[in-house]
Amino acid sequence: MFFTFFLQFMMPIRVLQPYRMPRKPKKNNRLVTFSPFGRSIAMATRSWRATKEVEKPERQNKDLATSSLNGFKDNIKDKIQQSDSSDDEEFEGDVQADFVFFDPKPDDFHGVKLLLQTYLDNLQWDLSGFVDLILGQPTVGTVVKIENDEDDGVYSVVSALNLGRYKASSCFLFCDSKCVLELKDFLLKVCQDMYVLGKLKSLVGEHVQHVGLLVSQRVVNLPPQLLPPLYDGLFEEVEWATEDEPTKELQSSFRFRFYLIISKIYKHKNADQNRGTLKNGEESVIYNRPEDEIFFEVPSGMFSVLLLSYQCANLTSIKCFCSLAHGHSVFAYMHSRLLLMRQLKNYRPMGLVMAVEACKISSFREQLHLLIDE
Amino acid sequence: MCRFERLCSSSSSLSFTMATRLQYENNCEIGVFSKLTNAYCLVAIGGSENFYSTFEAELADVIPVVKASVAGTRIIGRLCAGNKNGLLLPHNTTDQELQHLRNSLPDSVVVQRIEERLSALGNCISCNDHVALSHPDLDKETEELIADVLGVEVFRQTVAGNILVGSYCTFSNRGGLVHPHTSIEDLDELSTLLQVPLVAGTVNRGSDVIAAGLTVNDWTAFCGSDTTATELSVIESVFKLRDAKPSALVDEMRKSLIDTYV
Repeated sequence: MFFTFFLQFMMPIRVLQPYRMPRKPKKNNRLVTFSPFGRSIAMATRSWRATKEVEKPERQNKDLATSSLNGFKDNIKDKIQQSDSSDDEEFEGDVQADFVFFDPKPDDFHGVKLLLQTYLDNLQWDLSGFVDLILGQPTVGTVVKIENDEDDGVYSVVSALNLGRYKASSCFLFCDSKCVLELKDFLLKVCQDMYVLGKLKSLVGEHVQHVGLLVSQRVVNLPPQLLPPLYDGLFEEVEWATEDEPTKELQSSFRFRFYLIISKIYKHKNADQNRGTLKNGEESVIYNRPEDEIFFEVPSGMFSVLLLSYQCANLTSIKCFCSLAHGHSVFAYMHSRLLLMRQLKNYRPMGLVMAVEACKISSFREQLHLLIDE
Repeated sequence: MCRFERLCSSSSSLSFTMATRLQYENNCEIGVFSKLTNAYCLVAIGGSENFYSTFEAELADVIPVVKASVAGTRIIGRLCAGNKNGLLLPHNTTDQELQHLRNSLPDSVVVQRIEERLSALGNCISCNDHVALSHPDLDKETEELIADVLGVEVFRQTVAGNILVGSYCTFSNRGGLVHPHTSIEDLDELSTLLQVPLVAGTVNRGSDVIAAGLTVNDWTAFCGSDTTATELSVIESVFKLRDAKPSALVDEMRKSLIDTYV
């Protein structure tokens, strides 16, 4: 099932400035697509759902009763039945959901950790420590949940971490905390281009005090309409933090000059060879997230956008999802990935590391608004 | 001195029983990828060698550690249910997997594939060597098979209102850990049924899916690396992992282990 959400979302009152999103009840339930990738997913769901109608009895038995998500069989069946009963025209499965933005709290540990499972490909690293860093910074960062959700699932997390700030408390030599160290090592290791490596080294080396790691992960089918307020909120929080943090040191730690972004893309297998072999309509690079495409396009000055892509290991997300207790968000994520797999057989998953100058962020925000609000 | 005692004195890992923390590919739900009993240990294939070697380091001298897959998946801990007497596999286990398990496990362990609609047996059945709790909707035939193959008495129960007893409670012959929201009355009732002391607690930093984060037998336990020190101490005390002295341990273990060395 592939839920499209009606959008009525709101944000809790912020400390300095109430930030209220206009409520936009949408009657028209067209899936908003913003890229060729999104369009192909939308088409895939349409055709998948058409076949689902026919095979429904067997599929339910096969997928639900015998999967390890046994305890949620009833829950999900209800949702399917709900969606089918509310089905009038072409789009089934519309679910009303109120999204709420929260500051990160220690209670969100499991949800955030789940979203960050494949952050550094399949490297075994101190992910728990990294999640603790995000949750320990309530002033900058947002966690997206659904109102009155009994599972309390985390649907998205964004944060900006100063990589130079987090030092190991137990270390005499004032070295980085373990997760930051492993992250830096990973970035330097996957960089194969010598030219880029030099720039990357300076970003994580001498200039690290001015670099913010922009962490942004979400479930794949999160409505894109949430992205502009999410990013706007984050960048405004960074601005506020430069004035509101208790110490001068903390204030200056949020004066980022660069944002580092680690993300994933799909590169066409033939992209490096002659263009002619690409079929019509197939892109050479498919961006997993719309903002990556904008970041990549944003023109920059001294440090050009670092395109560093590295070969991903197998998409392990499907096989690794065996945790039972995290409810629908995980299930939806898994199914979206399955759809993805079918459409992407000509593409290779790659990691992407970008460095964007902080002064270009306002143009990024504008472009994101333009892209999503159309 | 019997062969077993000689083995014990030479193997240092047996004298100090503690819970070990580990991860499977950044995932702390190790009870999903492994199955530990008093007679054997199953470990999922794939992942790094670290996972397998942690089990090996603790258990190699005493019980076989077998790499396996069930139904082509790595979630073997949740698909199969077993104790020292037997191992139950779901209907979608392939013939090769079944044969591999039959070959690798000791002869005293009966490996049986069962036809049951609810194929995630690890989620539906929780057992030790004497008693089993089962999902309320399991077939009658399955219940009889469980009693037969595993040599246990079967009780249909729920744990804190959850029907997935295999996920929300884990117990060995010495103690058990159940879902944190289990009421005192339920705790007492289960404790009398199972004849072991039970404690309501969490694993992996507040996760209530006990069996996913923890796998345990009578002398050792493995839990996810997110498990806090408090949770670890609760686990070690309820499963009686830490206060047994080596000689007492040997005597205790002899009863449950000696048949593998006959």
